[in-house]
Amino acid sequence: MSAEQNIIEVDDLKKAFGENVVLKDISFSVKKSEKVVLIGPSGSGKSTLLRCLNRLEDDYEGKVLFEGENVNGASKEKLCLLRQKMGMVFQQFNLFPHKTVLENITFSPIKLKVASSAEATEHAHELLEQVGLSEKAEAYPQSLSGGQQQRVAIARALAMNPEVMLFDEPTSALDPEMVGDVLDVMERLAKNGMTMIIVTHEMSFAQNIADKVLFMNDGMIADSGTAKHIFKETDNARTRSFLSKVM
Amino acid sequence: MFDFLKQYYPVFVEGTAQTIIISIIGILIGILLGLIFVMMRLSKVRVFSYIARVYIAIVRGTPAMIQVMLIYYTLSKVLEVPQIQFLGSGLDRVIPGSIALGINSGAYTAEIFRSGIISIPNGQTEAGLSLGLSDRTTMFSIILPQAVRNILPALGNEFISLVKESSVLFYIGVQEVTAQALGVGGTLYDFVPPLIVAALIYFVLTFILSQLMQLLEKKMGRKYLQSN
Ligand SMILES: Nc1ncnc2c1ncn2[C@@H]1O[C@H](COP(=O)(O)OP(=O)(O)OP(=O)(O)O)[C@@H](O)[C@H]1O
Ligand SMILES: [Mg+2]
Repeated sequence: MSAEQNIIEVDDLKKAFGENVVLKDISFSVKKSEKVVLIGPSGSGKSTLLRCLNRLEDDYEGKVLFEGENVNGASKEKLCLLRQKMGMVFQQFNLFPHKTVLENITFSPIKLKVASSAEATEHAHELLEQVGLSEKAEAYPQSLSGGQQQRVAIARALAMNPEVMLFDEPTSALDPEMVGDVLDVMERLAKNGMTMIIVTHEMSFAQNIADKVLFMNDGMIADSGTAKHIFKETDNARTRSFLSKVM
Repeated sequence: MFDFLKQYYPVFVEGTAQTIIISIIGILIGILLGLIFVMMRLSKVRVFSYIARVYIAIVRGTPAMIQVMLIYYTLSKVLEVPQIQFLGSGLDRVIPGSIALGINSGAYTAEIFRSGIISIPNGQTEAGLSLGLSDRTTMFSIILPQAVRNILPALGNEFISLVKESSVLFYIGVQEVTAQALGVGGTLYDFVPPLIVAALIYFVLTFILSQLMQLLEKKMGRKYLQSN
């Protein structure tokens, strides 16, 4: 396997908040189309790791390469371009409440001139259809359920035609009956070949979708491997103890 | 009691117009300075943040009357304004006067903007940045519109107090409505009726302004704040 195929490479990543070292010597890589799932106890550094990838967390040591380009050293302008190719979906959706669903989706492609207004609108309608919300284009986010908001948030990230999608616990803030719709959308995205890095506590979903699972504990990748390895075969005591608590 | 109005109403009309004009200029400069100073105040560059804090502290901690006089006497030395008469006062007084009102209001407006900006959850900024938007676009297109919606009532209060406080320009000889009322009082040897007229004029002006702000609030709120 050549390094060329790695869309993301993380090498010796260290991140501290003041005295609190949150990530220690993290190294891993993600290949095109690969689905990587991050699991681990609360506070183990999963969100921080994800946020270092698109530099929502700054000031870390080590190397993060995206398509061969250094994220950590990128200038402001370059960073904006790199972020356009890394869609991110948050636990709290973070839709823009003062914009309609359609405007939420079209705002950045138009503003960043990756599409004309007409193209962006057409693309947005296609995306809304994909996430099953065609009839909500003119609604404001507050009038949607959590599950609907999260699907719009996914559509908004996809509108930039990203190479990678980062998900930070996309279903943790949802009522149980909404979770399925969001996971369905993610599964379809996976089938279409999207490269995905997902932090989740939905273990059966993780098992289904993951090409690779990283188990994080105390700022380190304590265990990693295929879904089969992590969920069935591993003899790592911490992994087993964590899984026995959440499954 | 108000018979004098038959003779003196043009004076009050002129004063009212002057008050409206200096207030509008003051409000506009205040908004502009408020935006500039809130960006400095929230900037990661320490010097900017420090300058903004000092400006805000000085304006808040000193009387408006002294600020206006200091700015007027300083500006009149450095600024060459022709001695053109405008609604009964020299432009050389009206212009520094309205700038002074704006400088005063800017400090309060900056603090109001700041309270609005920090009330917007960080997730909004992160969502904007994660889409590849610049810091500036995220601030001006995502954060500020939401912040302004939240602070409209506070901004309205600030504008209303600016209209009332614009009477301090009387001290530098701007013939706004208070000055005109005092002038009329002087000729009548009775200050009470003209001052009542001036008070009524302020009341009507601020009432109209607060109605306009409420209209704006409704218009901006209708779009997204109701839950369904
Ligand atoms: N902005 C911050 N400032 C200071 N400490 C932080 C900050 N963000 C995270 N931390 C700390 O970093 C550690 C890792 O947090 P992180 O959010 O990455 O964990 P997590 O694995 O995502 O947990 P969870 O499953 O609860 O979301 C925690 O100890 C947390 O307190
Ligand atoms: Mg987290």
